[in-house]
Amino acid sequence: MINPYLPLPVKVQKITIENETKDLKTFDLEFCDKNDAEWFKYTCGQFAELSLLGIGEVPIGIASSPMDNRILQFTVKRYPIGVVSSTLHNLSEGDTIGIRGPFGNGFPMKDFEGSNLAIIGGGFALTTLRSLTKYIIHEKNRSRFGEITIMVAARDPGEMLYKYDLEEWSKREDIKLIRTIDREVDGWTGKVGFAAPVLKEISPSSGNAYAIVCGPPIMIKTCIAVLLELGFKASQIFNSLEMRMKCGIGKCGRCNIGSKYVCKDGPVFSYTQLEKLPQEY
Amino acid sequence: MIEEKIIKKNRLNAMLQELSKEYSIYIPAGENGDFRFCELRDTNDELVFWDYRNTRISPKEILFPHSEILYEFSRDESHQFSISQNNDDQRKMKNVILGIRPCDARAIGFLDRVFIGEPNERFVDPYYLKRRIHTIIISLACNRPQISCFCTSLNGRPDGEEGADIIAFDIGEEILLKTVTEKGKEFIKESSKWLGNVKKSDIDKKNKIFKESAKRINSRVSVEKVKEKLDDSFEADFWNEIHRKCLGCGICTFLCSTCHCFDITDETSADRGKRIKCWDSCMYPLFTLHASGHNPRPNYKERMRQRIMHKFNYCPENFKELFCVGCGRCIRNCPVNLDIREVINQVSQLK
Repeated sequence: MINPYLPLPVKVQKITIENETKDLKTFDLEFCDKNDAEWFKYTCGQFAELSLLGIGEVPIGIASSPMDNRILQFTVKRYPIGVVSSTLHNLSEGDTIGIRGPFGNGFPMKDFEGSNLAIIGGGFALTTLRSLTKYIIHEKNRSRFGEITIMVAARDPGEMLYKYDLEEWSKREDIKLIRTIDREVDGWTGKVGFAAPVLKEISPSSGNAYAIVCGPPIMIKTCIAVLLELGFKASQIFNSLEMRMKCGIGKCGRCNIGSKYVCKDGPVFSYTQLEKLPQEY
Repeated sequence: MIEEKIIKKNRLNAMLQELSKEYSIYIPAGENGDFRFCELRDTNDELVFWDYRNTRISPKEILFPHSEILYEFSRDESHQFSISQNNDDQRKMKNVILGIRPCDARAIGFLDRVFIGEPNERFVDPYYLKRRIHTIIISLACNRPQISCFCTSLNGRPDGEEGADIIAFDIGEEILLKTVTEKGKEFIKESSKWLGNVKKSDIDKKNKIFKESAKRINSRVSVEKVKEKLDDSFEADFWNEIHRKCLGCGICTFLCSTCHCFDITDETSADRGKRIKCWDSCMYPLFTLHASGHNPRPNYKERMRQRIMHKFNYCPENFKELFCVGCGRCIRNCPVNLDIREVINQVSQLK
């Protein structure tokens, strides 16, 4: 029987500082044992527990694409009171840590096939959306999806995640990429303004489409209002939620919203589901 | 087929002493009314717990210990960690829990739903499962329920069989054992040399005692509508009042026989350490505090609501079962006399 509490060892291959504040780092992890890599099959939108022995564990969305099965990537924000995130930020390339997962439901990829997708990410919540984007634009998958609109909102240019990917995506003709920052900055060529008004301006069509929104709570709320206004039905809107977690397998009892566990029944919920749950997140 | 056997109280210890070569046997032990499940010692003394009411700490601790080592780890000179799983099996693998009250036996059935789940469950708790499959539960029907007992309101009975493999009845000089499951039958078969056949007079005695005992449970709450009332009551004003006297000490959740929330935490010394699964409580603010500082349940109100909702709405939703067996521990031990029966009654009367 699988012991879901046991972490698998992974080596930190590379650490990338993502933002000017330097509190966001992306960790490239490689399984120490090739068999573990085979076993650890995930889908876009799932998460894993990064496990530091003697320190603790933290649930983080998987930022890499399932198409790249060699390396797992996680972007972690360092919080001063977050013991695990702080320790992770002090790691060096070559260090070994543990990983448990993959956990959670992930995005409903089968449902997304054949549809247009509006991918809306704010702040550092872009992580699993990056996994999703990289997956659908992969040459083996691209033809199965319709038009792709990606909107990325950040406080300022220096805080924008995955600049290297955004650069690449901006050159592709099969993606409509919109970048927006909160306030005017010299030399900025993207949009200026909060996510919701910019979303309204670009008005992605709701016909045969899904919208996936990840970001800070206020952004999710305002963007959902815009999407509903644009004619998206609740069942066409998806979110990915975060909660404090321990076990990751729906047993330890803390990450619930109503009767649903974010670790097991989520982290991806349609707005239809969210509407039925209490506002306790 | 149900089997019923009988054993004299003064012979029981001899039987258990022999069985203890193969099983770890847990029985209620204590004094002055303060009991807890302990492993049976090597002794010639007669067992004397027949009159005990119930343990303060629920026997869930035998299957779901307060703290349990998930695994140990150590770091070598080159800073590489290695994990070793604790093969706790110097000890005997098989357990017997004898004397657990029917309400608590029922609660174990509920914990099974959480930690083991359905046959196709994606994740099973292997630590719980390993103990559970090797445990035989012999419950002891209640001759004298307490004032704070209210099992009969929650589909339980002082002689309820749910969750037990065998149920024992104290009928005076003797104990009547009735098999409930195949596992129990197997156990009875193994122990047959100690057991005698039941006479009609024993059955009559049993029936008389337990007819009386069910009548002694006068405390009734109305749970029929609780689940559906709570469906629409998340934002009700009721929650602003009900938590007022709660100190947030969490004793209700620790002693509860169905509460199962836990924490995972690390203990280290020098280059060695342990990862430990230990009881936690939804009544504590840290339970849900995010590293960002955000807390979805920041106040007593939200935490009390979570406790009540989890038992009487979320678990019924997920497991089709109210997660309360009416054992009354939270009532007897609350430092400010918060009474869950009153909470249930108030919920039932919500508009």
